[in-house]
Amino acid sequence: MRCLLVGCEVLLRELADAIARSPHTIDVEFLPKGLHDLGGARMRPALQTAVDHADPARHEAVLMGYALCGNGLHGLEARRVTLVAPRAHDCIALLMGSRQRYDAYFHSHDGVYFRSTGWLERGRDIEQLARDAGTDFTLADLIAKYGEDNGRYLFDELRRYEKSYRQLTFIETGLESDGRFEQQARAEAAEKNWHFEKIRGDLSLFRKLVGGEWDPADFLVVEPGERIVASYDEGIIKAERIG
Amino acid sequence: MVDLQELHDAILNGDAKSAAAVTRAALAQNVPAIELIQQAMVPAMDEVGRRFECQDYFVPELLLSARAMKAALEPLRPLLAASGAQPAGTVVIGTVKGDLHDIGKNLVAALLEGGGFEVIDLGVDVAPEKFVETVQQTNANIVCLSALLTVTMLSMKAVIEGLRAAGLREHVTVLVGGAPVTRQFAEEIGADGYGENASAAVALARSCARSAAVG
Repeated sequence: MRCLLVGCEVLLRELADAIARSPHTIDVEFLPKGLHDLGGARMRPALQTAVDHADPARHEAVLMGYALCGNGLHGLEARRVTLVAPRAHDCIALLMGSRQRYDAYFHSHDGVYFRSTGWLERGRDIEQLARDAGTDFTLADLIAKYGEDNGRYLFDELRRYEKSYRQLTFIETGLESDGRFEQQARAEAAEKNWHFEKIRGDLSLFRKLVGGEWDPADFLVVEPGERIVASYDEGIIKAERIG
Repeated sequence: MVDLQELHDAILNGDAKSAAAVTRAALAQNVPAIELIQQAMVPAMDEVGRRFECQDYFVPELLLSARAMKAALEPLRPLLAASGAQPAGTVVIGTVKGDLHDIGKNLVAALLEGGGFEVIDLGVDVAPEKFVETVQQTNANIVCLSALLTVTMLSMKAVIEGLRAAGLREHVTVLVGGAPVTRQFAEEIGADGYGENASAAVALARSCARSAAVG
């Protein structure tokens, strides 16, 4: 079968690996990580546009290389082609290969910040805030824009979260070219004075998504005329009739 | 004579030093604290909210105006306490268990303070029991819950259930917010209101306080 994969660039390496191994023909559309920073309500229209690029004469399904992602998928409509989305809160669950594993890890580790190859090479923290405000949020930029006193205050406020986090966990999938990603993650943890941990990622959800193995326990299949909505339960997302 | 417009503009422009200086000068000239709040601070923060809504202001500007407003409010606190003036309401605010995001929550806290509320900020990663306990101890009438992750959003429900179990649910208005939170979610977990952004949260708290005063 032929499918259209709409994915987040943060997962590009993992999805590219899955595409290479898939028995199916996969067309791709990757969207910028910046959508994540816009928040759900502003992310969804961009996803919908990409999903609508699917051609019913050509594609049997649109595969979402996304999790619920801050409700970015909430309200996403399958208009002409079936949509398939993994049941996960965010991409960390996808990288760990299971939302149960992510949940258990999340709740047993306080204040964890996650990194993967995609987050290291494509995901800067407060990129969208920076673009909105027209600054890179370096101390020098903030001082230039808001003055010495206010610039320093903003720098501290916008980075205060760093003091709440205690750990940086690097998810290694085995797709890394070399040790540079781990080194970057270790350096970031050291700089912020966070504990560093490396865990093994699991590519099975990516491979199942792109391989067409959509077990209802892990994937939601949304038929044309339905949309994805957040379900606020174990299933994370569910399908609902449009209109 | 002190120009209230000067205080208004200092807050609007995020100039904390001027905001504090003008407030002190006004107090030295016996301008009543309540007049400074109602005629300069509240309108300034309303304007800040309006500019945020139309994307003229962004998070940094909001943070700076909130800082200036707090600086102006500081010298007024002892006077307000001594005069026995009642706050618009008492708010317990925090980011729910498991979630460490605080920029949005801090903004709402600052804007509520500027709007005349007494604000008890419990910080981030706040357990449901802590919210319940604080409401019990302070007689707060509004609880504001923030979450930035869909994986932590459900803790909001646990707070509401905790308030119910403690027999406090009828005494407090529960408002929820944060990027992934929707009106539908707020309704589903039995919250009383949902604020789409920081300035909407303040308007919501005000209308709750008003209806409580009327009812």
